[in-house]
Amino acid sequence: MAEAALAPDTARGAAPHRAQPLARRRYALEIRQHMAWRWQALILAAALAAGFAISAAILVAAGVPADELANEFVTQTFLDGQNFRAVLFQAAPMILVGLAGSLAFRARFWNLGLEGQMIWGAIGATAVSIWQLGPEPLRLPLMFAAAIGCGLLWVLGPAWLKLRLGVNEIISTLMLNYMAANFLLHLVYGAWKDPKDSFPYSPQFRVFERLPELGAGIGSAILLAGIVALLAWWLVGVSRAGLYLRFVDANPRVAHANGVPVRRTIYGAVLLSGAMAGLAGFAVAAGQEGRLTQAFYQGYGFSGILIAFLARNNPLAATVVALLVAALFVTGRSLQVFYQVPFSMVQLIQAIIVVCVASSDFFIRHRLRRVGTETAP
Amino acid sequence: MPNALELTGIRKSFDGFAALTDAHFAARWGEVHALLGENGAGKSSLMNIAAGLYAPEAGQLLVDDNAVRFAGPRDAARQRIGMVHQHFKLVRPFTVAQNILLTAPPSAEFRSHGERLRDIARDIRNKASALGFDIDPMRRVDTLSIAEQQRVEILKVLLAGARILILDEPTAVLTDQEAARLLQTVQGLARGGAAVVLVTHKMADVKTYADRVTVMRGGRTVATLRPQDASVAELVKLTVGEAVAASAFRPAPSARGAVRLSVRGLRTPASPEGRRVLDGVDLVLHAGEIYGLAGVGGNGQGELAGAILGLPGEAVEGEIRLEGQGDLKTMAASARRGLGIAAIPADRYGLALAGGLSVAENYAIGRVHTGRYGPVWRLRRGRIQADTQEAVRAFDVQGVRSVAQKAALLSGGNAQKLVLAREFGKSPALVLAHSPSRGLDVRASAEVHARLRAARDGGAAVLLISEDLDEVLQLADRVGVMTRGRIAGEFAQPADRQAIGQAMVDHG
Repeated sequence: MAEAALAPDTARGAAPHRAQPLARRRYALEIRQHMAWRWQALILAAALAAGFAISAAILVAAGVPADELANEFVTQTFLDGQNFRAVLFQAAPMILVGLAGSLAFRARFWNLGLEGQMIWGAIGATAVSIWQLGPEPLRLPLMFAAAIGCGLLWVLGPAWLKLRLGVNEIISTLMLNYMAANFLLHLVYGAWKDPKDSFPYSPQFRVFERLPELGAGIGSAILLAGIVALLAWWLVGVSRAGLYLRFVDANPRVAHANGVPVRRTIYGAVLLSGAMAGLAGFAVAAGQEGRLTQAFYQGYGFSGILIAFLARNNPLAATVVALLVAALFVTGRSLQVFYQVPFSMVQLIQAIIVVCVASSDFFIRHRLRRVGTETAP
Repeated sequence: MPNALELTGIRKSFDGFAALTDAHFAARWGEVHALLGENGAGKSSLMNIAAGLYAPEAGQLLVDDNAVRFAGPRDAARQRIGMVHQHFKLVRPFTVAQNILLTAPPSAEFRSHGERLRDIARDIRNKASALGFDIDPMRRVDTLSIAEQQRVEILKVLLAGARILILDEPTAVLTDQEAARLLQTVQGLARGGAAVVLVTHKMADVKTYADRVTVMRGGRTVATLRPQDASVAELVKLTVGEAVAASAFRPAPSARGAVRLSVRGLRTPASPEGRRVLDGVDLVLHAGEIYGLAGVGGNGQGELAGAILGLPGEAVEGEIRLEGQGDLKTMAASARRGLGIAAIPADRYGLALAGGLSVAENYAIGRVHTGRYGPVWRLRRGRIQADTQEAVRAFDVQGVRSVAQKAALLSGGNAQKLVLAREFGKSPALVLAHSPSRGLDVRASAEVHARLRAARDGGAAVLLISEDLDEVLQLADRVGVMTRGRIAGEFAQPADRQAIGQAMVDHG
């Protein structure tokens, strides 16, 4: 092939464009500096369509009738009141971990410890309940504050280690997940075991310790998540800290040289990330389970990273993506019931869509150009 | 004489911007052919096409009068074309031999890695001695000076078999003596039958060393001629379209003021070999003067600038006192910028601008902490936009279609103008300019120089760090020479060029 491209072209001068056989055409890969916004959106849409198509094909192969797919995924999930409430119920902690991931990633801090911070958030909230701290009307706000505080403290260590000693946060946050998970087991199998039935979970929260319903079967956890999403949007989109964060994300050295308080910006983003993950733990414990259970956090760390990635670390987009992921979970459960499709199919679909979107980045950042054409197209 | 390399009717655009519209170029075997033009004239783009890095949209490429197509630099290397880029493409922690092995063509029969490395080291020594270089193949590249790294680049392309040698701005980073030596070497290569293309915007190099010169302007070729047939003024006129008068040294209009910055005994920790990057820098800067710091790159200039700005790096001992503000070393970088320190760093996209962010954001970051763009909880985007648009107009930053466009899309000169607009927007007390006109054309350099003089005349203390002695002599009221991490000598203006040049190369 190389020889073909290098072969001396005898027709010199204004040689007409020769039709080259497809197999011998050659392309060069070039870095694209800039791409119009519309085109980026179009490429992203194409990637999503490809992901959906592949997922649909797999589901059909697994035994879901093709004409039922749209019904299951759209009509049943979003238009059926029962199922839609289930989506919102599922979405609240997803939105919170997605926001937590987005914020840390914006500061170039790879917080893979979302699960650990979530666990600690739930432990903090549960501690307030078990020790019955504060009067009844203040109990829920105290649990809320404890969840924020514990999630924040759990990520403080890795943040300090990274900024002071240069310890890789990918390792430190990931390993701290195991410590948190084992401490959780220690609690629910030990001191905090429910005395009523001796199952490995904490005693049930009292009514005033649970997130109240807003009415129509919709929990207040989703409202909490929505408010946090708006606050995150304000932080990155409107406030001065948002500009600082964009500089830290784009180039920390440039940020530093231009007087951006890089260290404080990173600390702020990372601690808020931990706080939001802690809140996600609170949303599960006080909004869904009503107690501390031994495996409530599983899968949220991965989902949070994935949501942040698909949303390009944009808080509002993260909210939408989290809703869609939650819908996927709900649909996955009903597919399991009606068509005996294993629930791990949900993870497969998630993975397929992430891979498709990740690949679309390639087309946004690069372009293929015919090499060796002699006249302009 | 046959043409070694010929490019005809080349067209190339980047994202709608036409870098080359109709470029022609032909170099013969056995000549040094200079390619002259302002920045953005398309010299580098054209040569990147010849080296196989870019594919042209139209036009033809001929080697030895045969049309060729390149899918990449490797195809160009097969046609024995080698390019030495302005920014060296070397793996810094690798040795010279390892770097050259990376690009060496694979050997015909099987050789182990160790054997090949030994072969390469032998080839390097032979080639280097033939060229009159002294290079140890086992040295790590990051321990070499800029001039030595450039020699490694030249050896790399020659050992890969290049007979058509393209050098992109090779003298930009060299002292006068080093540049003369390099150009004599490449002249020798041409006399031996090779074709050498010298991409440059230095008229003196063209006049002394080139056999022929092709002048480019605005993406097209305007003339090919023999340098002795044209005066410097005529060449300048061809490159810029109209004659830009070379500015001579102009002293400050009034006597210098009080001491503004004093640096005492600044040193970095010693390396295991006992070498210090900064080794006791003493420097006093007065208000209303330009202090020019000359010296070969890599003698601690970047670290000195970094220490004054407070960039993360090695801890420094000593004192950096800004008059009325105390020791800067005790302050965070953000606090220092609040004291009226303007910085024009050498590494434009490494320190000054975030290429991925918009022109407006890059402008606003300089003043956002003053509260001009709203309180902490709200950025006033309208005001940022208006200010940026005004600054872009006032500093004549071209190529800005919208202030929301990425800063990386600006050409070198316009990116620098954006930096100037930001840094000089607030009247600074201290200006730190590190190679402010590196890679800029005559016109843009003249503007940068005018801005520095205006800052001085406005009472600022200006520290101009530059590897271009002409620039220092043109601008500075006092000249210091930095070698091996200390100020080796200071000269009052008008200074003796020879003496300064000697101080730059005396390593003592």
